[in-house]
Amino acid sequence: MDVLLNLTINGIATGSLIFLLAAGLSLIFGLMHVLNFAHGALFAWGAYFGVWIYTQTGSFIVGILGAIVIGAVLGWLLERWIIQPVYTNTMSQIQVTMGLLLVMNECIKVFFGPNQVSVQLPSYLNESWLLGGVILIKYRLFVIGVGILVFLGLQYMLKRTRLGLIVRAGVMNKEMVQALGINIKKVFLYVFILGSGMAALGGMLFAPYSGVIHAEIGMDYGILAFIVVVIGGMGSMVGSALAALLVGVLGAFATFYVPSVALAVNMLLMFGVLMFRPAGLLGRG
Amino acid sequence: MTLLKVDRIETYIDQYHILQGVSFEVKKGGVTVLLGRNGAGKTTTLRSLIGLNPIATGAITFKGETIHHLPTYEIARKGIGYVPEDQGVFPELTIEENLKLAMRKTDEATLERRDWILQLFPDLKTFWKKPSGLLSGGQKQMLAIARACVNDNELLLIDEPSKGLAPIMVDKVMSVIMEMKQRVTVVLVEQNFYMASTIGDDYYIIDDGRTVHTGMMKELKENEALKKEYLGIA
Amino acid sequence: MLTKRLAFSRWWMGLIVLLLIGFPFVSDSRGALILLTQIFIYAVFAMSYDILLGYTGIISFGHAMFFGIGAYTTAIFLHRWDHSMLSFLISLVAVLVLTGIVSYLIGVMTLRLKSHFYAMLTLAIAGLFLVLAEKWRDLTKGSDGFTFYIPDLLKDRTALYFFALAFMVIMFVLLKRFTDSPTGRVLQAIRENEQRTESLGYKILHYKIIASMVAGLAAGLSGSMYAITLRFVNTAVFGTNVTLDALLMTIIGGVGTLFGSILGSALILLVHAGLTDLAKIHWIFERWMIFFGALYILAVMFFPQGIVGMFRQWRAKWNRG
Repeated sequence: MDVLLNLTINGIATGSLIFLLAAGLSLIFGLMHVLNFAHGALFAWGAYFGVWIYTQTGSFIVGILGAIVIGAVLGWLLERWIIQPVYTNTMSQIQVTMGLLLVMNECIKVFFGPNQVSVQLPSYLNESWLLGGVILIKYRLFVIGVGILVFLGLQYMLKRTRLGLIVRAGVMNKEMVQALGINIKKVFLYVFILGSGMAALGGMLFAPYSGVIHAEIGMDYGILAFIVVVIGGMGSMVGSALAALLVGVLGAFATFYVPSVALAVNMLLMFGVLMFRPAGLLGRG
Repeated sequence: MTLLKVDRIETYIDQYHILQGVSFEVKKGGVTVLLGRNGAGKTTTLRSLIGLNPIATGAITFKGETIHHLPTYEIARKGIGYVPEDQGVFPELTIEENLKLAMRKTDEATLERRDWILQLFPDLKTFWKKPSGLLSGGQKQMLAIARACVNDNELLLIDEPSKGLAPIMVDKVMSVIMEMKQRVTVVLVEQNFYMASTIGDDYYIIDDGRTVHTGMMKELKENEALKKEYLGIA
Repeated sequence: MLTKRLAFSRWWMGLIVLLLIGFPFVSDSRGALILLTQIFIYAVFAMSYDILLGYTGIISFGHAMFFGIGAYTTAIFLHRWDHSMLSFLISLVAVLVLTGIVSYLIGVMTLRLKSHFYAMLTLAIAGLFLVLAEKWRDLTKGSDGFTFYIPDLLKDRTALYFFALAFMVIMFVLLKRFTDSPTGRVLQAIRENEQRTESLGYKILHYKIIASMVAGLAAGLSGSMYAITLRFVNTAVFGTNVTLDALLMTIIGGVGTLFGSILGSALILLVHAGLTDLAKIHWIFERWMIFFGALYILAVMFFPQGIVGMFRQWRAKWNRG
């Protein structure tokens, strides 16, 4: 019983991390029709930079903030200089962002060294609670907490603010938003920065979770985030959340019971969705 | 006073030369109708005016200022409202949200305009919190027009508002545009000749991407030969 | 006008082939011989990629999977069975069958989707192959890989050189024929304007699958050749950088021009070799990927037609003016 509970919590925590990555990707694609292959690189950068700040300052929280900042800054630079010129050309977009992924990955190795970096949790999060005979690792709950906060924050932004209104409308009909006198390109920038910041946050939270980070996590988790966005539906934040939970929990159970199949599970899920419901569970395709 | 001047504009969509020389002038305070067959380039003309299909050559001036090089949102902010052929309502946003999005300011004048429109279109008030995707064709059209009017726009570009509407709705839309005539100038693309001739003041006929004829609406109503040649009306 | 241009190119190509044939007799450099052999093999891989990208307008990030299938199949045949020429040739047949099946299946499942999805999916699938190769240690010895003997005929570096050169020339001719054929023309039409081609009555998916298969087969063969030049295989043949190499070579050389892929292959491999040498001087050159990545981005943004494309444009201007 406690194995099941632990697995579920693990799964939800992993799902939380994936959500941070996927939500940004989903919004960016839904609104801008840009698929940023380099989104995963932001995850990796968030991890490395955040961890570096953490080791320099000794404060985990400052590390997290540092990760968010680097994500936002990189997002701004990327959008402004690299993404904007290739908005309309899908082919170029795919290639340019792929190239970016490479360059950013390699730059990590340049700045932080090509070796793996191990990460320690701060002591106050490295504890566990004993609840009715079940061991709950604090950090897992922390990650889930952050995920829920971000989700609620995004929902609030989308439903209650003018920016959110513009984003929701833009996902449905970009041209009309402009015809109403709204500069949607500026909103693109904000959404991109937001998504990038979230991805970097995800990376930083992931670092102590897995204990070790290496430059390839950008690629690996980027693909995972993409799978989640496909399953949940492009442009649907709620869809990303559900799909992330699904993938996280399924992954946790699969890794435990049938480890060799674990990787394939996600692929199969994605294939299944693409075959039978290409718009995703909640998306509009 | 000339509000809008369009001078020999040419527009391409991909490699297709859609507009090959469209010119017309719109005077303040009237309804100018763009007529023509399907595929003549009327919609593209409106889209070129609002900047969604930028022109390749020619000039567009609004209140004496050239606007054709500006991005769409800036053109709109100069005081030009656009009601596209498919109405462009945001289906998952409520009527309230649609209007809120459209309102550039929330000052008294804008709110007063909004209330005036809601009076003209009581249906919108009834379904205020409903997603606009659930509205009927006629109601969507009203919402689209309402959005274009809620700001202090001086010029409205309306693309085939009667399309797909029941005759009673067409009458409704017509009466609304007649009311609006007092506050705004309208460029209307319309295939429904009854509607066009009833509310239009002057017209331009566009054929094969070019303006081929112009005149006052009341003269066109009588001219059977012209109607047959360019509009296919026997 | 067109024939004049073709004849012009044919002369140049013929000359280059002659030079290449003569090369081993004038040069002693073993390193150069090996490098050129690699260039020939990668040229075919790049050409196969160009069929997808340049001629049909499909972006795949998983092309390495066919390369890897080719490399491993040949390696396993030579290792497990025996290392005769016959074994090698039979492995080639096996490669064709395997890559044919895989490219068909993947094509059927994924080509109907939007290009973003296809690109991501191929990336993910290639990743799966990589993991599969790593886990199936019985067959592949995982990331350690294994060495094997190659047919005696090809043991001599010079013999291998000529074999590779012949391989490249034959594949070039075959692929050129394919792109010039009616099928090839339809593919180019799809690249130009998919909707239009569809409205003309062509079954787009059908043609895309053909392109995918031709590309997959050629890539598989180049993988086999790669394996015998190295006499070693490991999971790196399934790596993303293999696909990215092909991408770079195609783009730099010029998409939609088979000859451009050959040029691109030469350029990239030469630069790679040069940078590796330079790496001994300064560690920054070890991260040559950054240069390539940056070059790639700039190329896509500012000169997407590549070297051959620019050359053609320049020549067209010259002819006009």
